[in-house]
Amino acid sequence: MMVPVRCFTCGKVVGEHWEEFKERTKENDESAEIVLDDLGIERPCCRRMLVSHKDLVDIVSPYQ
Amino acid sequence: MGRGHRKTAGSEMAGDFEVQFIDRGERTARFVVRGVTPAFANGLRRAIVADVPTLSIDSVRIIENSSVMFDEQIALRLGLVPLTTPPDEFEEGDSVTLALDVEGPDTAYSGDLVSNHELVEPADKNIPIIELKYPETADSPQRLELEADAVMGRGREHAKNQGGIAVGYRHLQTVDVVGDQDAFNDGSEESTVLRGVIEESAAEHAVSAGNGTPENGQLVPTETFDNDLAQRYPDKEVDVRDVPESFVFHVESDGSMSIDELVLTATDTLLDRADELEQAVSL
Repeated sequence: MMVPVRCFTCGKVVGEHWEEFKERTKENDESAEIVLDDLGIERPCCRRMLVSHKDLVDIVSPYQ
Repeated sequence: MGRGHRKTAGSEMAGDFEVQFIDRGERTARFVVRGVTPAFANGLRRAIVADVPTLSIDSVRIIENSSVMFDEQIALRLGLVPLTTPPDEFEEGDSVTLALDVEGPDTAYSGDLVSNHELVEPADKNIPIIELKYPETADSPQRLELEADAVMGRGREHAKNQGGIAVGYRHLQTVDVVGDQDAFNDGSEESTVLRGVIEESAAEHAVSAGNGTPENGQLVPTETFDNDLAQRYPDKEVDVRDVPESFVFHVESDGSMSIDELVLTATDTLLDRADELEQAVSL
């Protein structure tokens, strides 16, 4: 629903970078690989946290 | 490159060991420790991960939560936010109170947490906790208001208290040039890929990667020659071996404290354990 705060595997804080990642990949159409390198998210365990995430608050909120 | 000495336990068997930094950033560092056994190296790694106390939110009193997430989910997210932990200020079990009050349409960030201690604050301010809406059908916006107690705890109790992230070590290695490469070698025979840090011991055969002339005794991260020994020692046959009792540590902090503090506190906890054991066995 909301981006995980930390990487499930190693514990690095990844939530911190979500909004920048989202903006650059979805709106500026940059490649996720380059953005993640830029953000200093090196390990594959942390990279999958952002690459595979989907915000769901907007989808859920009408059903409160 | 910094050098430091740190004395181990006041016992006869332990001597000094030498620490030499390779990379030193605010949150990540790489350094060589010499004169330690593999058991001690692993003990240090485990102490960094599990034995250094850090502050993190442990219990939450929800005053109002009309967001789309349950109270428990929000409490978990708050717990995972790293908080700066000032050195020597808190004992294990001490607590600090934090408060958060955000109303939609807005996103509650970790940076919105306000603490009652000037040295304690979220180490990362930009972590989204929950997105709050003001639905058109509702007569009031979603709101999150809460008070939280952050408690000093250890990584072995809960992962949210782990100060060190993905802490690891590997042997310091060195490369011997044992001869020239076979003229008919097409590169298919043996892989020359190596990762880590090498201690230069065949400088006369080494090709510099544009960072000064190679000297014996120099510490060279393998990424400077693309992790490929064939680039560093062209047309040579090489033999890689471990440098005894030398380890390259890679330490990353979650922001709750600096690398120095994290590693020094970890060594202190090892000392405390050694003392405790000594007391327990001496009747």
